[in-house]
Amino acid sequence: MARIACFVEKYNFSDPREEKALQNFKQAAARAGHEFDFMFRENVSAIPKYDAVFIRATTDPLFTAYVVSRTASELGLKVVDDPESIQICGNKIHQYALFEKYNIPHIPTIFINKEEFHHKQIVEIFREFGKPVVVKAPYTSFSRYVEKVACETSFREVALRFFRRSDVLAVQKFMPTAFDWRVGVLNDEVLYVCKYMIPKGRWKHGAKLRGKPTVIWGRTFSMKRENAPARLKEVALKACAVIGHGLYGVDIKEVNGEYVVVEVNDNPSIYAGYEDLRNKDVYGKIIAYLVD
Amino acid sequence: MKPTAFLRSSIKDFVLNVNNDYRYLKTGYYVSMHAEVLGNKVIPSSESIIDANRTPILLLKASKGGIPTLPYLVTDSVKRIMAAFDFPVVVFAVNPFSYDGFKTARNKSALYRGVKSLGMNYKFAVCVQPLRGEMISFKSIFGKCEQDQTIKEISEKAYSVFKIPVCKLHVQRVDQEAFLCGLQPLKKEEISPYDMKTISEEICQMSNLGERLIG
Repeated sequence: MARIACFVEKYNFSDPREEKALQNFKQAAARAGHEFDFMFRENVSAIPKYDAVFIRATTDPLFTAYVVSRTASELGLKVVDDPESIQICGNKIHQYALFEKYNIPHIPTIFINKEEFHHKQIVEIFREFGKPVVVKAPYTSFSRYVEKVACETSFREVALRFFRRSDVLAVQKFMPTAFDWRVGVLNDEVLYVCKYMIPKGRWKHGAKLRGKPTVIWGRTFSMKRENAPARLKEVALKACAVIGHGLYGVDIKEVNGEYVVVEVNDNPSIYAGYEDLRNKDVYGKIIAYLVD
Repeated sequence: MKPTAFLRSSIKDFVLNVNNDYRYLKTGYYVSMHAEVLGNKVIPSSESIIDANRTPILLLKASKGGIPTLPYLVTDSVKRIMAAFDFPVVVFAVNPFSYDGFKTARNKSALYRGVKSLGMNYKFAVCVQPLRGEMISFKSIFGKCEQDQTIKEISEKAYSVFKIPVCKLHVQRVDQEAFLCGLQPLKKEEISPYDMKTISEEICQMSNLGERLIG
């Protein structure tokens, strides 16, 4: 019997679908004869008591989840997400630089530097990518800190806002599609496949209503992993291979029959009735990986 | 070579990244990250930059590297801190990389204030260590510092473990012993002409060995 700590924050229990998924993990662990405890940030000193750590709280090198991951890794525990994956997936500049190096098909991307950000560069970017373009902060998650700009004024406004935290940003070609593929990958194998629909009249899966704090999310269609296009799965696995061998959610766009990676996320969302709908073994496979 | 020029380049060589500010997402971090993506050996590594600036990880890795450290607790609960340690305690921010250093709490209300301000209104956890002696903060340039032998040894060991060329170290002296407590970036204005001389000497020494320098 192994002891698994699941690092969570209070917000992980605010959505009933996510709470149900967390309970499903606990049940899957119990069925396999393992102990599965929820660990909150006030209890992180209990990490050495466990054999494995599964992080469900949002990860970023700046968040407590990274401290948990690195501590567990230094103590020799199995950890998902591992600190190296958090470092690469938490910084999209790092990720796109690796995609470039290893020829992973991805959305055309240019990096802009705070010190060299000027009119000429903006003109060149618009000439190369056309209008609009997408400005992405390296710490983006849940569709936040990604904005579409169509003129120099809005480009400058968004970039200067993102430059407050990061000295380098990514600018990408705008490639509108009706949905993004989401491929869940665990240990170099496809775990689940979904379509994240883009809400009507919007351009990303999670869109904010104008003037309101509410975020509307597009629908999620799940499919059996066996039925997903082979090339899609191949691209997803190739993208994950340059990052690590943990648990990832790969966002892919299908443009003119070609698959291009939008980004690879560590700590992918797993909501009961959504990502797991056609692949019920998601929970068991992740628990088995943690105790392997 | 200027950091911005290096970020545009695809140089394949050893890289010494000299910067006063290695905070995550800042240019100092991106230089090391870029060097690693190019497959170069770099000082400091991007992993060290992140880990050395996160106090609990700094202490864990320092302790594994043979540097004396004190017990610590990562939490956002004042009750847990009071159950673990007697006053006074030192509180370090865990999450946002800041120049603020640490706060000393000698009673419950000071502890509440410290946890609230360094945890950004309880948004993040903090790292707490007991205060058993005197806190000493000093500049460490390539592991060299203007302190006594005990503290000099800590500075040198911290450089050998984390390889952060320019930083400020927080050390606690308890009787004849010293314990590493924290690390933070230096502000440009904190670097004196003497520090610049030390940096130049180190760079010259490495440069004589034929290594490419970025900074």
